[in-house]
Formats: sequence, structure tokens, C-alpha cells
Amino acid sequence: MNINVFRAADGGESGGDGVAAPADTRTAASRAMSVPQPRANGDDPVGPTKIAACEVSVSYGDKQALFDVSLDIPDKTVTALIGPSGCGKSTFLRTMNRMNDTIPGCRVTGRIDIDGEDINAKSVDPVLLRARVGMVFQKPNPFPKTIYENVAYGPRIHGLTSTKAELDEVVQVSLKRAGLWDEVADRLHSPGTGLSGGQQQRLVIARAIAVNPEVILMDEPCSALDPIATAKIEELIDELRERYCIVIVTHSMAQAARVSQRTAFFHMGRLVETGSTEDIFTNPRERRTLDYITGRFG
Amino acid sequence: MTEPTPGISEAVSVDRLRAGLKRRHARENRFRTYGLLAIAISLGFLLLLLGRIIEQGHTAFYAHTVTVPVYMDPARIDRSYPAGTNFEQLVAEQALARFGIENDDAGINATAMRGLFSTELKYRIADRLQRQPGLIGETLPIAAPMSDDADLYFKGEISRSTPALQRRLGDQQIDWLDRMNAEGAVSAHFNSALFTNGDSTEPELAGVAGAVVGSALMLLVTALIAIPLGVGAAVYLEEFAPRNRLSDMIEVNINNLAAVPSIVYGLLGLALFINWMHLPRSSPLVGGLVLALMALPTIIIATRSSLKAVPPSIREAALAMGASRTQTVFQHTLPLAMPGVMTGSIISMAHALGETAPLLLIGMVSFVPGIPTGIDQPTGALPSLIYIWENASERAFHERTAAAILVLLAFMIVMNAAAIVLRRRFERRW
Repeated sequence: MNINVFRAADGGESGGDGVAAPADTRTAASRAMSVPQPRANGDDPVGPTKIAACEVSVSYGDKQALFDVSLDIPDKTVTALIGPSGCGKSTFLRTMNRMNDTIPGCRVTGRIDIDGEDINAKSVDPVLLRARVGMVFQKPNPFPKTIYENVAYGPRIHGLTSTKAELDEVVQVSLKRAGLWDEVADRLHSPGTGLSGGQQQRLVIARAIAVNPEVILMDEPCSALDPIATAKIEELIDELRERYCIVIVTHSMAQAARVSQRTAFFHMGRLVETGSTEDIFTNPRERRTLDYITGRFG
Repeated sequence: MTEPTPGISEAVSVDRLRAGLKRRHARENRFRTYGLLAIAISLGFLLLLLGRIIEQGHTAFYAHTVTVPVYMDPARIDRSYPAGTNFEQLVAEQALARFGIENDDAGINATAMRGLFSTELKYRIADRLQRQPGLIGETLPIAAPMSDDADLYFKGEISRSTPALQRRLGDQQIDWLDRMNAEGAVSAHFNSALFTNGDSTEPELAGVAGAVVGSALMLLVTALIAIPLGVGAAVYLEEFAPRNRLSDMIEVNINNLAAVPSIVYGLLGLALFINWMHLPRSSPLVGGLVLALMALPTIIIATRSSLKAVPPSIREAALAMGASRTQTVFQHTLPLAMPGVMTGSIISMAHALGETAPLLLIGMVSFVPGIPTGIDQPTGALPSLIYIWENASERAFHERTAAAILVLLAFMIVMNAAAIVLRRRFERRW
């Protein structure tokens, strides 16, 4: 029997409270979520709630992309966001580090708390937020600089290290954690763009973890990679889970099943169902979820 | 009748395909031919143009000098002030005497003889005596440029076959020139005056140095103002400015400004910089400011489009790392856009270098003999010098005009080459 860390906020379920949920409901929910959770499935531990999204809606100009999504994401866990193209999963991912701020005409409503703090509050600097919430994109996007410079970039702009030795150390540790050190140790000063696609994606992950974030958001990180590179990244994600809260958007059901402990299924801009990955894949409650994971649409 | 077998219909369709294919290939070949023709025609015109300019201008790169023995007649030269002597007359009379022409009552012969030497001659002699007054009383060989007409005669531009009234040199003068040449007094050499002198009313002394320095100073002013301002404006408009009606209007107007005729910028410069701000007329400062105004829209448009061409993934990567907007722009976007920015700037600088119309209105098409030493000194510019020389009545300016065009082209090639090298360096930072 699971204690459901996720709350499905499907339009049908949350029903009447259309405009905005009362504040006390929200805080109560968050408080309930912040107590440590028992293991969700098998031997995968699920941490306390790291991110609590409440009634999040996003619209680009006139087009609404996301409708009242409420979702709690636990720490030290991999949470997969699945759903057909255009279902709003990437949009939701980007609300968590406020990358949507950079898109003109994009409007975000609702509340997202990280460690109980509203990230959309005026007092929160998106620059600081993005140092805490790293992001990996679909297409590997290393800077056109050396491997070393790529990883050192974050610590440098945030002033995390004061000496060259410290920076070297950070670069080395990050590359090791990203499983890339052995492959690039002897060519740290060659261009990052010269690596293979899979290596580039691990370089980007190393770059993200070099600033020691709390959360790593991954937007279809393997969709541009071959199966071997994908396997490596998945292995890496599994290792990184011990330290970080990871949210991954994926089109691959198999990948969601392999790497995540929690899964949230999005459809048409709404969160349809959430639960432990095992439950979602073996025993979905919603018809649409079943149809999607069995390949009837998507 | 039998039904058409699949084999037959297949053959028919393949035939049709073949017929069509032939037409399609013919069309492709035709298009290729048009392309080649177009390239050949443009290359032909380019070669024609260059060939014509070189043909006209190559003779300006050498000049003829005459070496004459001059007796520094103490009776004619004032020891206390040698420069006051009429050396031209002195040299002419001595030359006439050497040729055995004594009878010169009205001075007609002396005037004709003087017309063969450049005015430079008297300065050279005066200079020499100023430094070594002890030479007075001796006979010295003095080398001096020939006058423009004499020079043209040796270059074959003036010939005996032309009726005497239609040429600048009389029969007698041509005889004298032939005699000097036979004596071995005339020699051809590289025309260094063309590159070291400023403008002059005497073609044999006129040079492009003043205009080259003027153009260079002007471009320096233009580059220092237009590039930082243009790139800054483009970065702001592209990366920071909110998209609204105002920024749309600014964008439209910048595009319009790029198409405004350059003479209008000249008028603006005249009103703004000279009449209102009272900056020195004909100076590289004002010229550079006007050209900067003219170059700005081009630089802004080029910079904006190369900023737009930077993959958004890089911008996202930087922002997601927690870089501020300014850091993103100056550490990632702008360096990646740099080759495009350079190209745009180079094109607009090259444009500015060749621009003449706005210079007309700010007094840069005036006769300025010296070489400017600062951006507030009056000066000419290469294109305006070409314009002035082309309009000059002396025949010898004709070849010099073509030579000045070649210098302008060389200036542009050097500038573009330097810019390409610079751009390569930026590109290497991937």
C-alpha cells in the first residue's frame, strides 16, 4: 500500500476549486508532503518533498499550455514526466527554474515551492534559483569552449571557488560524478563541442552539477543519443539520484520505467495521473494513462 | 484483344519518365549555363573596369626627371637671401645658352624653356644653397622633376603628329626635350611624389598622401564611433529591449535609415556638426561623424541578424547555469556573433571609405594641399580627391585620377584583408 506522494490534479478530480486553491489547503498539503516518506516501491527510497507545485498554469500569449497542475516532487528521487508531444511536460519542467521567464509573452500562475519557498516570489532572484536548480536540455548544448571551461563556467560566474586549485578540484569532481573524467582527463583543454553526442550530454550534466545544485531538471536528455550513450546517461542518472532531486521529461516509456521511481503522466496540458513508476506502468488508474503506456496514442 | 499486361504499362511509364527526364535535365543544364554566363559577364565587366583603370593609371606611377648643370651665378644670387633668386629664369637662360639660343628679347624662349621644368626645381636649388651657401659660384648638376607637359611628352601622351595648336607643347619645346633626352639628361623613375605629397595644383607635384591620411583618420573616427554604438544598440534591441510597438517602430526606422541617400547624411552633418556644434569644417572629425551616422544602421542590422543566428540552445544553456542576461550576452551570444558583427562592420566601413556625396556638403571637396596631422585639421579624402582630379583641366591629372582610384582600391583591399584576418581570429574561439 502506497502513501501517494503525488496528488493528481486532473480537472475532473479537483473539480470546483477552479480559480485558486485557498492558501491554507496548499500549505497543509505541502506540510503533509514534507514529512519523510516510506519507500515507495521495492528498494527505492523516496525522500521528503523537495518541490511542491500548486495549481500551476502556463500560457504563451493566448494559448494556454498548462492547466492547474499540482504535483509534489520528492528529494533524492528520479521523477519522470511522460506524455505525448505538446502535453505540457517540458513547459512544466521549465517553470521549476523559471526558464519560462525568458520567453516573451509567457505567463505563469500558481505557486511552486522549493523547500517551502515560493520561487516566483519577488524576493527570489532567478539567477540564484537557477544555480540551485540545474537543467540539462534535449540537445547537448556545451558552450563552444574547452571541456574545462564548460565545467568551470558555473563555479566561476557564481564565485564559488577562490583559487585555481579549488576550481580544478570542482571540475574534476564534477566530471567524475558525470562519469566523463576517465574519457577526457587528458584533453581537458580541447573543445567541448568536439566530443561525441553522449559525451557532450555528460559534459553538460557535469557542468550542471559543478555548481552543486539541489535539483536537476532534464528535458529529454537522451532523445538525441544512440542506445549505448543513452544507457550511460541512464546509469548516471541512477547514480546522481543519491545526491539530487531529479526531474526528467522523457518520450521513452522504457526509459521512464528504467530510471524513475515516480512518474507523472501529462495529457493536453493537464496532469492526468501520478504515482510510483511501478504503479503507473502496471496498474494505472486512468484510462488515458493506460492507452498511452500501451501505445494506443502518443 | 488482350488486356494490357503489367509489363507493357510499365514500359510506357518508363518511356514517359525518360521523356520527362530529358526535359528536366535540359532545364538544369540551361540554368547552369545562365549562371555561368552571368558570372562570366560580371567577371568580364570587372576585368574591363580594372583593365581600363590600370591602363589609364599605370603611367602615373613613374615620372621623368631632368638633370641640368646650373651655374650658381654670384651676380644673380643674393648671398644673404638665396631663396629670393628667380632660379627658374636662371636655369632657363642657361639652358637656352647651352642650346645656342641667345636672342631672347621678349623672353618668349625663356618662358617656353621654363615651361619644361617643374616649379620644384627652384625650391631644390634654393634648398641646396640655403644649406651650403659656399656653392655659390660653382656649377652643379641639379636633378628636378619635369613639368607635367614634358613628362607627358616622354610618356607618349603628347606627340608631334598632333597639330601644334592643339597640343600643350610647341615644336620648339619638343625639339629641346628631344635634345635633352639625347644628351642623357632625362631619366624615368618611380613617382614617389604621388605617395608622399599632398594635393597640389601642379600635377607633377600632386600626391595622394594627404587624402590617404585624411581618409584613414576619418575611418578611424567612424569606426571608433559607429562600431561600439552600433553593436551596443543592436545588443540592447535584440537581447534586452521589450518587444512592443515602440521597439517595432525603432526597428522599422533603422531599416529605413539604412536606405536613406548618403547626401542626406551630409546635409544633417552640415547642419548638426558644422552649423550648430561649430566643429572644424573639412576635418576628418566631421567627416568621420557623418560617415558614422551613415554606417550605424548597417552595423545595427548586421549585428542583430548575427545575434539572431546564434543558436538559442547556447543562450538557454547559459541562462540555465544561472548566468545573468548580461553575462549570457557578453560571454556567449556576442562572442559567437562576432564574425557576423565583424563582417557587417567591415562592409559598412568599406562603404564609408568610398562615400563621396556626404563629403561634398561638409567641405571635404576643397583643395587642401597639406597632409593633416590631426582629426581637426582640414583635409581631403580619397574619393573627393578623385573627384577633384577628375575635374582638373591639366591633362596630367587624368592619369593621376586613375592612379588615385587604384590607391583607393588598394586601401580597400588592405582594409578588407585585415578585417578577414581579424574575423578568422574571432572565429577560432568557436
